[in-house]
Amino acid sequence: MEMTRRPSRFFREVSTIWAIICREISVAFKSPSTLAMSLVMPIVMMGMVGGNLTQNMAGGLGFDFGLFMLIGMMVNMLFMATSQGVATLVDDHEDNFSEEMLIAPVSRYSIVVGKILGSMFSAVVTMLGTLIVGAFMGITLSVPQFLAILALSPLICLSAGALAMLFIGLIKNRKAANIAVMLITMPQMFLSGAIIPITSSSGILMVISRILPMTYSLDLVRSVIYAGTAEYSSIVMFNPAVSVAATVAITVVFLLAGTFFYARSEKNR
Amino acid sequence: MKVIEVNNLVKQYNGAKSPSVDGVSFSVEQGEFFAFLGPNGAGKTTTISILTTTLSKTSGEVTIAGLDVAKDARRVREHIGIISQKPSLDKSLTAEENIRFHAALYGLYGYRPSFKLMPKAYKEQVTQLAEIVGISDALFKPIKKQSGGMQRKLEIIRSLIHTPEVLFLDEPTQGLDAVSRRMLWDYINTVRKTYGTTIFLTTHYIDEAENVDKVCLINHGKIAFNGSPEEMKRQIAFDPTPRVCLPSLEDAYIEFLQLDKTTMEVA
Repeated sequence: MEMTRRPSRFFREVSTIWAIICREISVAFKSPSTLAMSLVMPIVMMGMVGGNLTQNMAGGLGFDFGLFMLIGMMVNMLFMATSQGVATLVDDHEDNFSEEMLIAPVSRYSIVVGKILGSMFSAVVTMLGTLIVGAFMGITLSVPQFLAILALSPLICLSAGALAMLFIGLIKNRKAANIAVMLITMPQMFLSGAIIPITSSSGILMVISRILPMTYSLDLVRSVIYAGTAEYSSIVMFNPAVSVAATVAITVVFLLAGTFFYARSEKNR
Repeated sequence: MKVIEVNNLVKQYNGAKSPSVDGVSFSVEQGEFFAFLGPNGAGKTTTISILTTTLSKTSGEVTIAGLDVAKDARRVREHIGIISQKPSLDKSLTAEENIRFHAALYGLYGYRPSFKLMPKAYKEQVTQLAEIVGISDALFKPIKKQSGGMQRKLEIIRSLIHTPEVLFLDEPTQGLDAVSRRMLWDYINTVRKTYGTTIFLTTHYIDEAENVDKVCLINHGKIAFNGSPEEMKRQIAFDPTPRVCLPSLEDAYIEFLQLDKTTMEVA
């Protein structure tokens, strides 16, 4: 055994984020049932929920509801799968694997960011599943539109993961984590405009929609997809710069707070 | 030079009526082989968790390599390694993948998607360590298919790959057979002699602590004895039968605990 050199802090932090990303991907491949569920989920969400909404709600909206909903479901799937991925931090705690990460001389932020970006792999698979189900329903995206969503995926997943960390950081058992994921994702699906337009929302529902990070992620994606179209003004609510600024601000604040809670709950017993 | 210094350490868990660690003080010299002994629930793992920065203290001062564990936790972690009581392996990964992950966390090698793609130095180091602790055949098998003993050996490789200055061993031979125990101690002694690694050991196999430099006995969260094994043996009123044998450290350990229990009952 050779005496090893002490690496720089920057290299160690980057190395940690990359290692955790690779671990998440590796674990996903070693669990075919999880990957299969990633593809089944879009059938339920896009095929059944989305299909039903398209058949019964599309009339009189003044825009193509199918495309509106496909984009909403794709972003919703990124949020849902990322939240579920971040929730596996609770599994790591129960299996004592979190000790391996927490005892390493690295920042807790690197651990959390690695976990979120690693969860992005399953989230993108789920998003692709949604796209495929959408294609079967006759709703399609062009290649540039898909690539635009893919390019925004890291920001969307970071935003989703940061929100999930706010809750997961305080939870220590799997059952509570599952409930937390449901509480995080379900209200967003209905209140942030993923499948139901919220341009006419008012009162408390409007206030809630403005607090939810997915509202801004969705609006940002739609501002890119609908740019230059006649439907833009009836679908997109905010200037894209506002959506980017809100998403980044929410992500940073939630990430800082969530990681702080996570580190503190692991240490203060 | 003292590498670990603990002064009046107190830890009371949230909701607990009394402290698990109650005013503990001791120090460990650099390169020393230090045994921290005590019965179940005495406060050994709590103390180790505080020393390794994974648990906050209630009060007291703790430094590792001159760094405060509360104020400079990340830098403290650069100096330490641990084999904990409960395995901290990712059971969905292979043995080698667990080591690769650990090496990446410590920034020793950048993580690459397969063993074959890793640098030559990493491959040689892992292969060599796997041969030493006897897990070469299991290196590429999933952890969940391996015995507890094999998992323990893997943890040993993993904890040593970054050559820590202080190695915490929290009941490291629990679940190992006699041959594996002997092999492990031979290896740890080699590491200690070669690199001057400080070893902080907790164990219920008292014979493993016979050759340590210093013994610290904790009972009910308080230090009951702190000194060399010889001093500990000298302080007991042991009457061996047959009389030709000398008291072992285990004899002294049991007598100290009994004495401590009697003292507490009187108090």
